[in-house]
Amino acid sequence: MRQFEEADAVDFVVVGTGAGGAPLIAGLAEAGFSVVGLDAGPFFRPLEDFASDETAQRQVFWTDERIVDGANPIVMGDNNSGKAVGGSTVHFAMVSLRFRPEWFKARTLLGYGADWPIDWQEIWEYYGRAERLLAISGPVTYPWGPPRPAYPYREHQLNGAAEVLARGCEAMGLAWTPTPIATLSAPRGDAHPCVYRGFCRVGCSTNAKQSQLVTSIPRAIRAGAEIRDLAMVGRIEVDEAGRATGVHYLRQGRWRFQRARNVIVAGYAIETPRLLLNSANAQFPEGLANSSGLVGKYLMTQSNQAVFGKMDQEVRSYKAPPSLTVTEHWNYCDEKDFFGGYCWMAQGPLPIEWVNVLTGSKGLWGRALREEMKDYNHQVGLKMVGEMLPDPRNQVTLTDELDQYGLPVPRITYSWGDNDKAMIAHALDQMQMGLEAAGARDVFRQENDTCHLYGTARMGFDPETSVVDADCRSWDIPNLWICDGSIFPTCGGVNPSLTIVALSLRTVDRIKALASRGDL
Amino acid sequence: MNPTAVISRRREHAGDTKSPSTWRRSALRRAPVTKRGAHQWTRAPRNERSDELAAQVGRRLNGASGTLAASVLFDSGIEHYVGAFHNPAMITPLITAAASLAASLHGVADRRPAAHRFRDTVYAAAALAGCAGTAFHLYNITKRPGGLCWQNLFYAAPVGAPMAMLLSGSLGFLAERVRDTDAHEDPKILGLPAGRTLAAATSAGIAGTVGEAALLHFRGAFQNPLMLAPVTIPPVAAALLGRASLDSSDRARPFTRWWLRLTAALGFLGVGLHVFGVHRQMGGWRNWRQNVMSGPPIPAPPSFTGLAIAGLAALTLLESRGE
Repeated sequence: MRQFEEADAVDFVVVGTGAGGAPLIAGLAEAGFSVVGLDAGPFFRPLEDFASDETAQRQVFWTDERIVDGANPIVMGDNNSGKAVGGSTVHFAMVSLRFRPEWFKARTLLGYGADWPIDWQEIWEYYGRAERLLAISGPVTYPWGPPRPAYPYREHQLNGAAEVLARGCEAMGLAWTPTPIATLSAPRGDAHPCVYRGFCRVGCSTNAKQSQLVTSIPRAIRAGAEIRDLAMVGRIEVDEAGRATGVHYLRQGRWRFQRARNVIVAGYAIETPRLLLNSANAQFPEGLANSSGLVGKYLMTQSNQAVFGKMDQEVRSYKAPPSLTVTEHWNYCDEKDFFGGYCWMAQGPLPIEWVNVLTGSKGLWGRALREEMKDYNHQVGLKMVGEMLPDPRNQVTLTDELDQYGLPVPRITYSWGDNDKAMIAHALDQMQMGLEAAGARDVFRQENDTCHLYGTARMGFDPETSVVDADCRSWDIPNLWICDGSIFPTCGGVNPSLTIVALSLRTVDRIKALASRGDL
Repeated sequence: MNPTAVISRRREHAGDTKSPSTWRRSALRRAPVTKRGAHQWTRAPRNERSDELAAQVGRRLNGASGTLAASVLFDSGIEHYVGAFHNPAMITPLITAAASLAASLHGVADRRPAAHRFRDTVYAAAALAGCAGTAFHLYNITKRPGGLCWQNLFYAAPVGAPMAMLLSGSLGFLAERVRDTDAHEDPKILGLPAGRTLAAATSAGIAGTVGEAALLHFRGAFQNPLMLAPVTIPPVAAALLGRASLDSSDRARPFTRWWLRLTAALGFLGVGLHVFGVHRQMGGWRNWRQNVMSGPPIPAPPSFTGLAIAGLAALTLLESRGE
């Protein structure tokens, strides 16, 4: 791997190496720019470092201290943030869905949220590129939305849980499809096809999962980029002219400074605003890129409620990727009395996760819990990914408490709105109907889960109402860019990773175009 | 022109010279060195015994049937083991394929120009089992959620696989019909000229097998360019054979013959590539007990070899007489 001097200004320093950062690092390095990627997490070698052990694999989560409050505090640390080179894509569920086109004009066409400053047809092209980058295994034809090309790899075989979803949907008359998913159904390069271990959400030990760690990062290194792991960025330096000059980061026990001509922040919806707010100085007392006051505001998560039950036959839902079937019916059907959409997917919780569901949602403990765990092989569930509406009261701010790096601990405030609650109620009823129609009994609901994060540095049409423009460039500081889930004005009813990768690939092209006409 | 060059085993038969059967053992034979010192391609005389040739072609067809049977035996053995013989009927292809293989070996060893009741029975049973298997597999596909959709075509019981059993039985049955030719008769199958019938049947068989390979290689996203071979080379063979079946002339078809040989070789090459494909699974051959099941089916490609052998036998029949 090529290495750069800290004193020499590189063209780009990218903070974060996940779905937003890694494609940028690779794309910019391949375009000939000098690029350093910094990540707070370790550079794992999955074949050696990953165990089939839920507890040990918490090593891939971002479990640093956060303060959560609001009416519905978000549980942080597991399914919504990762600390590793490759970011959350090291442990994401690999579900790779495209946005419904109308969501890019949610305010104009659907009457809620905000419009994106990007046309859906342009993103559609980048979705295709993202799917090829990740060798998505998906269905030959997709039941919803405008036509899309066939996925690069074929759909996976359904596991027991996926089949239950399909049977439920067929009983309800809803369309379903094998989920487009970022794990290989056939060999690719050095990678073997998926062996259906089922530990996807705590890190794939076989490298069949097409995380950024095994896709963009190797490309970036081949193209001459440097990846510095265990490097926690605490502050972006800005000169008197109002341009970013580099980043301060903690590595091997000492604060260092990497000079750069451009800084790209891709730390996801908590760390990105935290870094921008913590970089406040005399010139930007409210934090960088925050003239609109919107950095940290409009935090969104997605409702992730579930319905679980028991089948008479063994299902073994924990084998294979957990979400092998999906129905996006309510993303594309507008005959409902709330805004936004949701999908639901098959589930396959691992044992400890399942114990958490039983204790948390069913209140089981001791002997009753032990007895219930005996039916683990028979349990089956459906879980929603639902669009929560942007609300400026949901936000990330800084507290006075300091964490292990000496940085202010973020406060994450979140409350569901009435629309969010209406959607959750609708989804729980629908999923319960589906599960019971498939033959499940002893059905119960997990009513409090959320997943994914968005919105704390939203993109938009003007500096008053947004933090970055359509090129992911901050309105206030021309050489400061933000490219991750935090730029989403609305979050849609699908998992975010594919859209983040698509935006990242688009930003590479935009930066190349701007550079070629001297606009960097 | 030297008749001794074309007749290897000649048995006299009364009245043979006036026989209406005028087909020759082989359309093109290498004649001995001529005075000019060069080999000369020449046509065989039209007075050869049809039953001898029938026996030889029949034995080749027995061999083709046996190749397919061996492919089915090992392939269904592995696949139905993966399915844990969930349904007791899943043992059927192992029995019929083993019997078809035994009958074929018997047929190859048997030089008598006549059908054999044991072989006929086995082949008929194998063909019927192939039909029943196809029905079973179709039922398995349609009973799943989604019914006849890509998911179930990819991962439910493979709809094309029992066809190989049907083909093995059918080719064996045809072998017996060809062997059953009287000394003075043209080989016929169900009253139709044997060569053309066999060419048409083999062409259809290759086309069906191409369909199966295309489906499963599509499932594998043609991730290795060599996965295109079985969907490009055998279709040409099927087309050439199809054309030959429509053509009543006894002309030589060297291109078709060579293309069929290429198709036959592809069957063996496919085994090698599938062995490599198993290596591409997680753990490779060190984890063979899992990967032989999850990787590409090693015994499947020789189906093409069996069919190509049958195609070559059909050419021999075609070229030995005008049909």
